[in-house]
Amino acid sequence: MGGISFPLLADFHPKGAMADSFGLYLADNGITDRATVIIDAAGVIKHISAVGPPGSRDIEAIVALCEKVDAEYTGEKSAPAAAAGIDSGTLYVKSGCGASRAAMLALENLHLGDKIAIKNVSDDAGAMGAMKSAAGNEQAPTLVCGDKTIQESGDIVAHMASCTAPV
Amino acid sequence: MLNENSAAPDFELADHLGRKVSLSQFKGKQHVLLLFYPLDFTPT
Repeated sequence: MGGISFPLLADFHPKGAMADSFGLYLADNGITDRATVIIDAAGVIKHISAVGPPGSRDIEAIVALCEKVDAEYTGEKSAPAAAAGIDSGTLYVKSGCGASRAAMLALENLHLGDKIAIKNVSDDAGAMGAMKSAAGNEQAPTLVCGDKTIQESGDIVAHMASCTAPV
Repeated sequence: MLNENSAAPDFELADHLGRKVSLSQFKGKQHVLLLFYPLDFTPT
């Protein structure tokens, strides 16, 4: 799924309430079943299944089910929204920095490695100079892409996710 | 579990950045695939 993001939602408080509303919360164990639900754009459940917590999903079968649901759907639906995409740029990181690691992990998970280069300012004086001239300080991680310079790792991750969000 | 061809109950939950995501925001726009999982660091 290169270049798109998907939201990871917390069914935390009240715990499992959303899973329970689908009948998928395993109250005895305090966990949710490993379940798959396909809901069409009209809000109708077209597929619901669970393989049990130790089980594993058949991803190819789920893809086929999704295609079937889409092919059979005749109601209202918007055209598939293309992700906005991200401008080419550079993610400046430093060694031994958790925030830098978080930004690099998000970049990897969003498959943006072909658009955003990673440069480590801890062992690359040229990269440090370029980052300082863009950001005006020596704070890493720094994302420079398009006309944007972003410095907090949470903001960097949010920007990368928003550029890849299909909604 | 709920039956196929029944109406999905609406929900609104926070994502990892605290943004609210609801089922109803997709109505009339997109299909939705929900993948529930019991624990982190377990298979898909």
